[in-house]
Amino acid sequence: MRDRCDVLVVDDEPVVSDAIRLVLGHAGFEVMAVPDAETALAHPALDGCRLVICDLMLPGLSGFDALQTMRLRRPELPIVMTTGYATPEQEELVLTAGATAFLPKPFDASELLTLVRRVLSQASAAGEERKP
Amino acid sequence: MKPGIGTLAILGVAAVTAAVIGVMSVIILRAHQGAFIAQLTRSADQLSETIASTTHHDMLENRRDAVHREIVTIGRQQGIERVRLFNGTGTVMFSSDEAEIGRAVDKRAEACYACHAAGRPLERLSIHARSRIYRAADGHRVLGMIRPIANQPSCWSADCHAHSRGESVLGVLDVNLSLAEADRQIARDQRNLILLAVLAIAASSTLLWWLSRQLILRPVAMLIASTRRVAQGDLSTAVPATARHELGDLARAFNHMTSRLNEAQRQLAQADKLASVGRLAAGVAHEINNPLTGVLTYASFLEKRAEHDPETRADLGVIVRETKRCREIVRGLLDFARQTPPKRLPTDLNEVVRRARTIVTNQLALAHVGVELELAADLEPVPADANQIQQVVVNLLLNAADAMAGGDTPAGGSIRVRTSTVAVPPRGNATIRSATCPKGCDLLDSHVRLAGVPAIRVIRRAMDREAVVHLDPVYGRANHRASEACDEGVIAAYLCPACRARLEVPERHCGECGAPMFGVQVARFGPAEWCTRKGCPGSRWEALDAIGPQPYAQIEVEDAGRGITAEEMDRLFEPFFTTKGARGTGLGLAVTWGIVEGHDGSIAVESDPGHGTRFILHIPCQVPESAGPGAGAGRPIPMPDARGVVASGQAAPIATRAPAHPAEGTQDGSRGAP
Repeated sequence: MRDRCDVLVVDDEPVVSDAIRLVLGHAGFEVMAVPDAETALAHPALDGCRLVICDLMLPGLSGFDALQTMRLRRPELPIVMTTGYATPEQEELVLTAGATAFLPKPFDASELLTLVRRVLSQASAAGEERKP
Repeated sequence: MKPGIGTLAILGVAAVTAAVIGVMSVIILRAHQGAFIAQLTRSADQLSETIASTTHHDMLENRRDAVHREIVTIGRQQGIERVRLFNGTGTVMFSSDEAEIGRAVDKRAEACYACHAAGRPLERLSIHARSRIYRAADGHRVLGMIRPIANQPSCWSADCHAHSRGESVLGVLDVNLSLAEADRQIARDQRNLILLAVLAIAASSTLLWWLSRQLILRPVAMLIASTRRVAQGDLSTAVPATARHELGDLARAFNHMTSRLNEAQRQLAQADKLASVGRLAAGVAHEINNPLTGVLTYASFLEKRAEHDPETRADLGVIVRETKRCREIVRGLLDFARQTPPKRLPTDLNEVVRRARTIVTNQLALAHVGVELELAADLEPVPADANQIQQVVVNLLLNAADAMAGGDTPAGGSIRVRTSTVAVPPRGNATIRSATCPKGCDLLDSHVRLAGVPAIRVIRRAMDREAVVHLDPVYGRANHRASEACDEGVIAAYLCPACRARLEVPERHCGECGAPMFGVQVARFGPAEWCTRKGCPGSRWEALDAIGPQPYAQIEVEDAGRGITAEEMDRLFEPFFTTKGARGTGLGLAVTWGIVEGHDGSIAVESDPGHGTRFILHIPCQVPESAGPGAGAGRPIPMPDARGVVASGQAAPIATRAPAHPAEGTQDGSRGAP
């Protein structure tokens, strides 16, 4: 099992993981996918990745719980939450809980790519700022 | 079987009547008997007096035969049982019953007891002490009257020297009268009284039975039958409530209760439907959005990579476009489930209509239906949620196409869509969305909605009868609902249901008929008033009249399809009501209604079954001020639970939600004052 990647995808739907891998992989990102929150939190790649894309509704531990744990472990990590049942209330909730962005399903390739690039550039800009 | 109210009441009244008449009979009979006996006693006394004085001289002259003759003669008279004379030692000296002459009588015998009880004879006795009643050998009653014969100078100085001077009582005269006739009379009276008592009890019981049947048992039986029907779920049941007594009030209260229950159940069913569509939408959204993500991402990725193959790229473009449409459908479903308030931005409705047409072009082409646009060039942008209005127009276009293609009607033809700006006057359109009594009680009743908006609840009092009236909140419209009917033309009093303050406005008179007017306070828009005369259409809302007609953007969608029947009209905007069978979700017009309400607009339908239908949409050109007659931002979108439609062939120049469907409760009169 590899333990390094750019983007860690947490989604129980293989078609979604595969689609994200296809689009982001083609854009030059190294993508790894896990099917649930427990696996993600135990995965060594979590400590080294630059971005997490996590579904809200997951079997077992929910995406919301995973978000909070990941946020505690890596306060600066960009985390994009995604869901098939998007409501404005949910969006507000996950953003308050520390998500970097909210991406309702279904999305198309360019919506995904644009969001990922924006989030990463913001994160690196923030990282630059933190450096003296 | 348990005895009923009627039986118990009859038994009770019979028992009381019997007791009262019984006691009265005993008292009357006793008094009657007493008087009778007293009279007989006096007669006996007089008789004994007569005998004593008649025989006095014969006794003085010691003519014993004469005395004997006289006593026997008197003793034979009718009603006289026996006359006898004792001497001082108790021996019968003379008697009408000759057999007992010479017989001695014991001092304790009934004739002697009164005087001799004290040990020695008393010389002076009252008339009552001297009389006695006893039973003869054959059982009939006899009144006895004794008369002690006192010694007198003439007695002891008579020649016969039968009596010495020292004796005080010489003998006793005993007269016995038969009471047989008197007793027969008394028995006759007793029989008559008992007969009367039985007749009185029978008559009062019959009357009571009839009254209880008419006034209690029948209404109660109807109430019980209705209660059972309600228990079985039939909430449309009503009890005839014509009686003016308490059971009539009970029946009216019962009818009111069932109508409220019916309304509540309808709303509950509606809420339940919406809750289930919410759950369904959430489930569907989650399940469908994942595969849609796959399709959309792959297709859009491939579309981008097919730069050098325009044909493939175009085909992939179709997949992307259609998948995005699916995304919008799912989103719409979620929106309906959640009823999101519109995000209002200046919107060109002509552009919205054009986009809507583009969206449905392919679908309509399959049905050979075209769309003709007549868009007003001068249409100003209106504050509206472009996506939501587009959804409305798409819904209406798809419905129109279905109506034209459906059934035996040959497919083909055009749908006409027109846009324009119209001035909509407040009368017939503006809705009262806040109402208070002079003391500040809230009069809006969110449980009873007329045309989707809460009605205004007041009490009407006419001819000593009170009714709950739900006033139509649309200014100038009069689809009021009342808990009971009222004669046309009657001028009624109107009260606040909470504090019972009078609602009549002093010095205000109806412009139509001159009757007094009553009113409610509308927040920031002054009083809204109605005529107090039943059936009079007079109403006034000066603040709104002062504002005058307001500009609305109008969108008309007209088809030449099969039309909408009157029955369908009533349910047109209800969620899950569809005429398209399995092809329809029954959500299109429900969503449409919610969106239009959310924009403070209105939607009306005119239909001519077999010839076509016209939907007319009004969107206000300015966002109405909050809490105003048009309601305001942040207000939850009312559930489309009451339908407003214009019946077929009816002209509706500036249509709104027109006649509310005849709903529960008494539809009070035609159109006019409550």
